[in-house]
Amino acid sequence: MERVDGGGGADRGASADPRSAFVLSNLAEVVERVLTFLPAKALLRVAGVSRLWRESVRRVLRAQRGVAWIAAGPADGGHPQEHCLVRVAARELENVHILPQTVLYMADSDTFISLEECRGHKRARKRTTMDTALALERLFPEQCHILGIVTPGIIVTPMGSGSSRPQEIEIGESGFALLFPQIEGIKIQPFHFIKDPKNPTLERRRLTEAGLLDNPELRVVLVFGYNCCRVGASDYLQRVIGTFSDLNVIVAGGQVDNLASLTSEKHPLDIDATGVAGLSFSGPRVQSATVLLNEDVSDEKTAEAAMQRLKAAGIPERNTVGFMFACVGRGSQYYRAKGNVEADAFRKFFPGVPLFGFFGNGEIGCDRIVTGNFVLKKCNEVKDDDLFHSYTTVMALIHLGSPK
Amino acid sequence: MPLSGSTAFAYESSVHSTNVLLSLDDQRKKGVLCDATVLVQGRPFRAHRSVLAACSSYFHARVVGQADSVELSISLPEEVTVKGFEPLLQFAYTARLLLSKDNVDEVCRCVDLLGVHDIEESCFQFLKFKSPDPSAEQQECPREKCFPPHCQNAELKLSLLDRRDADIDEVEELWRHGNAPTPQCKLRECPGDTKTPPPLQDGAGQTWEAMCLGKDAALALPSLCPKYRKFQKAFGTDRVRPVEPGFGDGHASLQAGETPAGECAGGARGCADPPAALKCEEGGTAMERADAEGDPAPPGPPGAADAAPLPHSSCADAAPGLYSLSLLHTYGPYGDLGFAGVQSPAAALAEKAVSGPDAGGERACAESQDAHLESDAGPGPGEESGPARSSVEREVAEHLAKGFWSDVCGLASPRPAQAHPGAAARAGAEQAHGHTQRRSECPWLGIRISESPEEPGPRTFATLSSVSCPFMSTLGAEGRAGSADLGGDGYASEPQQEPCPYACVITLGDDSETDTEGDSEPCSAREQECEVKLPFNAQRIISLSRNDFQALLRMHKLTPEQLDCIHDIRRRSKNRIAAQRCRKRKLDCIQNLESEIEKLQSEKESLLRERDRILSTLGETKQNLTGLCQQVCKEAALSQEQIQILAKYSASDCPLSFLVSEKGKSANASDGAAAFPPSLSVLGGPAAGPPAGEGGPCGPCGPSGKGSASGCTLGQEPAGLTEPCRPGAGLADVCQQMTDKCSTDE
Repeated sequence: MERVDGGGGADRGASADPRSAFVLSNLAEVVERVLTFLPAKALLRVAGVSRLWRESVRRVLRAQRGVAWIAAGPADGGHPQEHCLVRVAARELENVHILPQTVLYMADSDTFISLEECRGHKRARKRTTMDTALALERLFPEQCHILGIVTPGIIVTPMGSGSSRPQEIEIGESGFALLFPQIEGIKIQPFHFIKDPKNPTLERRRLTEAGLLDNPELRVVLVFGYNCCRVGASDYLQRVIGTFSDLNVIVAGGQVDNLASLTSEKHPLDIDATGVAGLSFSGPRVQSATVLLNEDVSDEKTAEAAMQRLKAAGIPERNTVGFMFACVGRGSQYYRAKGNVEADAFRKFFPGVPLFGFFGNGEIGCDRIVTGNFVLKKCNEVKDDDLFHSYTTVMALIHLGSPK
Repeated sequence: MPLSGSTAFAYESSVHSTNVLLSLDDQRKKGVLCDATVLVQGRPFRAHRSVLAACSSYFHARVVGQADSVELSISLPEEVTVKGFEPLLQFAYTARLLLSKDNVDEVCRCVDLLGVHDIEESCFQFLKFKSPDPSAEQQECPREKCFPPHCQNAELKLSLLDRRDADIDEVEELWRHGNAPTPQCKLRECPGDTKTPPPLQDGAGQTWEAMCLGKDAALALPSLCPKYRKFQKAFGTDRVRPVEPGFGDGHASLQAGETPAGECAGGARGCADPPAALKCEEGGTAMERADAEGDPAPPGPPGAADAAPLPHSSCADAAPGLYSLSLLHTYGPYGDLGFAGVQSPAAALAEKAVSGPDAGGERACAESQDAHLESDAGPGPGEESGPARSSVEREVAEHLAKGFWSDVCGLASPRPAQAHPGAAARAGAEQAHGHTQRRSECPWLGIRISESPEEPGPRTFATLSSVSCPFMSTLGAEGRAGSADLGGDGYASEPQQEPCPYACVITLGDDSETDTEGDSEPCSAREQECEVKLPFNAQRIISLSRNDFQALLRMHKLTPEQLDCIHDIRRRSKNRIAAQRCRKRKLDCIQNLESEIEKLQSEKESLLRERDRILSTLGETKQNLTGLCQQVCKEAALSQEQIQILAKYSASDCPLSFLVSEKGKSANASDGAAAFPPSLSVLGGPAAGPPAGEGGPCGPCGPSGKGSASGCTLGQEPAGLTEPCRPGAGLADVCQQMTDKCSTDE
């Protein structure tokens, strides 16, 4: 058995040995075991071999529940033509073991938006935005939902294990793409509302469609307002968030520079448009907690205290993603030129949880815990009183259900 | 009746469980069908035993097996406090647990003790780890303001202190016998109650007693105990009124005493006195002091927070020497005047301050304000002797300051200095005024208190509520509503304060801005909401001067939200202006620097030109000299040896050396390369040597014409290096200076 198994991979193409050929075309268990070592793209390729293999591939892919990510830091940069995230994604997608269903990517706005010098020319800028984003999104499977944003800075955990040291990249070519597979019992839906001056009413129907309303299983909403410097944009953001912020859900996110995603919208995006985009996570097994690091958190000790609090929320650490949405005003400057303080504090308390996020222009979030069993949140008489912040960091943990 | 299988439908309601719970809660509130009474620290809670048993294993054990028909009364063990139990009872009926920083510990303990189901430990952990930020104190107005728990706590904590036990017991007993809702309680509970002055008078005796007791417990200052007892007796007979006039003296001394005390406690306590002066109210005074006592507690070490039930003890931690000393001194005068009792309110307040272990201090302040108001409104009629008293006070204060305090304050030299002006130079209003100004030293405390005489309620609460504290918002509104009411009271008492107009003016004047600016909580949504509803526009809020602004606020009846929002707007605009100014300053600075750079560059250029000119004249002169030398040598027909000797004794830059080299060169040229080095050594190693040697053929002809030129360039190079260097350094210096200036400016 062992021998056959070992040999099966080697002479799969040759099929010289009739015994191994027999095993590989009849014993689903063996085939499946072999296939679990292959990345998703290879699996899709070999799915055409036979019906047995196709079934095996399907099962293998379905069993891959973990979140995968592609990270690109300044070390990958330096090519003038192509953003590092695009290049790294093209390379690394070959090695990803899951079939992405939802993709959330973030990239730094300096290099992602305007690779060419075209400041002030909105037309030109728009084109380049689309170019890089398009190049990136072409890499992902067609049916997957993609939400992309560009922010002033990026926080990313290098690829590999979730226990690598997360890096706060405040300036420089960087980006990451988080790939969520289809997970049973968990629904991840992207949403996007564009502020339309002609039609200021928020349609309830669209919110419901995105799973933000009338969805008892909604647990977490990651929400990003973009182009928030425009008049009325933050109002709009607050209005959208106000519709679901009083539910028992975690709301985390921030205000980012721009939206780069295309697939959520059929028609091309106006570069000047403002709006709100995000992901909603629903499902009874999703657990999440957020803490807010306010201005008082200004050294390692207080940052670690905040992380301890997040730890105390008791969110399981397997199959969990950490998010950090920080203000551009924080980072190393804030901690007396000591960089990576918050990310390191996170790593200290959550040794195995990958951390992603951005430095943005405003943060959304508060101290909350939402699990299947209970909800802990502040009771406000003023709506959204504590959701919108500046000069803070919001740390969130999202647990996507432990395999049973 | 049961259907036999053919049609089996199941109807499931998702709202039923919730609704059942709701109606049960309704029943509990109305007292319908309640068949159990839970006694927590003597306080009864009605409930359904089935619900209790279903929610808690403890109750389950207690309830099961009891006779159904009998009305069940369950008294809980000592460890379960009202503060911890009430939220849990509410949770049992509503599935909603209200936690605040105040009660989280107690609730957690009660959950453990009672075995309540469906509450996960992690939420307590989450809240407990909440970063201990020193600014966020006010959590939530405690709904349950019963004193017993505090007393008990005090007892527990103080058991270390040996001296006090007997007193405490006595105290507690007395206290419990006294009517339960003492004015204190009412004050803390909520504004509505605050408005009832009559009971205050009646209950005053009790209050004081309670306070006394509290004080005993809290301070455990053995020397004071006898006095307390005396005081208790005095007030036990309800003779509040007769005693009061005498208090004037006590007051004054108190003020005098307090000024230094306040100073020594780092300014925070300085705030205590002015209201005292203004109000001329023993309650007020003492309360303020308690307030001052409470304040050092929060900044104290976290460890102190635990021990904080006793502000005094925490104070001792924070500032051991100064504090206790000053306190003792403060009490001293009382003892002399036989007014030991006056301190008691302070103690009671101190107790109060304690009630929220962490947040104690601040709340105590707020509450003491309330207390103020009430006492103003209540015993007001008996107090119209304001002016008269103030003069008395002044005198006493002077005396005391001179006599008593001067020795007292030997401890800290700056103190007496401050104490004297405080007590001696200022009388009544002026005194208050002086204090008010001084108060601006302590940012948040200062504001609160400085404003208290005028519009105590709203201001106080506005200030407090702006503190960004996560738990506060829930109850903040209540508190604010209360504050509005209190405001009314405050106005009522205003006439009383009229004898001291300065105080009013000054308090409104300049300070307290710092406070509102201190915190920035962006809540623009609310602001915009509010703005719409404001009776005047934002522009006006921003443009008005401080005085007018205050007047405006008083003119309109505003909700706390509006007030909050107005203050917010004003603060923002101020910030904006400050930011603009800052930007402008920066730009100016940059401009200055630029012009400086320009000037320096032009200077450098002119210097360079001058140096060129000088070098060229130098070259010319050298050339002339060389010519002269040659001529002289030729005319004198010197031999080679003679020239060499001459060169040896002449300066190295003398053209003679060229002459020598020329001669040497020619000799070398004839003798061959071997003879070259000696001739070089003959040159005496002037700097020009090696290049000359290298230069070979051009060497001989060089000295006259080219030699000077090359010398020129040679000289120029090092000069060129050093020359620009100096202006450069100067520039850096100037830059440094300018940046220094900028940073200090800001």
